[in-house]
Amino acid sequence: MASQADYKDRQFLAVIGDEDSVTGLLLAGIGHVTAAPDSQKNFLVVDNKTDNAAIEAAFERFTTQRKDIGIVLINQHVAERIRHRVDTYTAAFPAVLEIPSKDHPYDPEKDSVLRRVRRLFGE
Amino acid sequence: MAASGDSTIDSLLQRYLALLDEYTQLRTSLNTLQSGLYQNLARANFSAERGIRKYGQDYYDERMQAMRRVEATTNTKGAFPTFAVIRHEEEGSSFTPPPPPAPAEPAAGEDGSDEKTDSRSTESSTSEKHGKDRGGGNNNDGKPRQQPHKTKRPSSDPLRWFGFLTPMPLRLAQGQAIQAVEELIPRLASVSAEMADVEVEVRRARKKRIKANAAEEKKRRQQMEHMQTRAQEPLRGIE
Repeated sequence: MASQADYKDRQFLAVIGDEDSVTGLLLAGIGHVTAAPDSQKNFLVVDNKTDNAAIEAAFERFTTQRKDIGIVLINQHVAERIRHRVDTYTAAFPAVLEIPSKDHPYDPEKDSVLRRVRRLFGE
Repeated sequence: MAASGDSTIDSLLQRYLALLDEYTQLRTSLNTLQSGLYQNLARANFSAERGIRKYGQDYYDERMQAMRRVEATTNTKGAFPTFAVIRHEEEGSSFTPPPPPAPAEPAAGEDGSDEKTDSRSTESSTSEKHGKDRGGGNNNDGKPRQQPHKTKRPSSDPLRWFGFLTPMPLRLAQGQAIQAVEELIPRLASVSAEMADVEVEVRRARKKRIKANAAEEKKRRQQMEHMQTRAQEPLRGIE
């Protein structure tokens, strides 16, 4: 169970996704850069050159290291690249949500929540 | 005993299916909204002004501050969190005029030449904090600003990263993104968290039912054995 102090400070959304997904969400005003010298961003733009280690490091940073993230949004096709990491994540805070991207529409087969549903019904 | 366990599981599964229904509906809405957003972004990029390659990361403000923030609460039992995304008002964003300067106290700044009036120091500190497109607070004209309350801080609206005359599709994309962030995403996160909680309860109830069934089976077997021994007792007496 999450303690009260644990979730009260979790006030930011974080995004890991392609440029259009990140731009779209930043347009909504969720982007945040912490004060210098850390200057930590709450988003990661993933392209073809981004390696899986960088995505995994960002996921780790947003879910485990940083204590100010409440919801992590990740493109489903990016989550596929670190599927083992996303599927084994079970903590209540921050919540992790997979979102569609421009080139990769939402696939219910890959959705971790619907996978949990299938597991519950014994499939 | 087992019947009560069955009804508990049934009611939990009923609740779970209602949540699943809401989850899939929210997913459909989010997909529709996101695809509209991407279309509008593509339209904006297509009709981008000369000089703008793409509305993307090249224009992000390196000092951006979140305007919309998460507010997480847990229910009374503290079992699962509920998320909301609310608009965050920046400190001092209400444009209230600063308090009248105390004439006896000079402003404590590092640049002595700029401290003729407090209103100027207030203005420059505001500029340093909040804006890069205001010329960095360089008032080389030497005229102190008399009405600091009339000055406006630069807007923290992310649309401004891309210039002042942004195309309509980009503004539409922003509206869709705000709707997704304020309405759908927090609700999806909340429903997903509640589903996870119900899953735990269902598994717990199933385990309990298995235990109850096992205990019932054991009891029935003991009763059968007891009845068998009692039935054999008169036969032994005859022997």
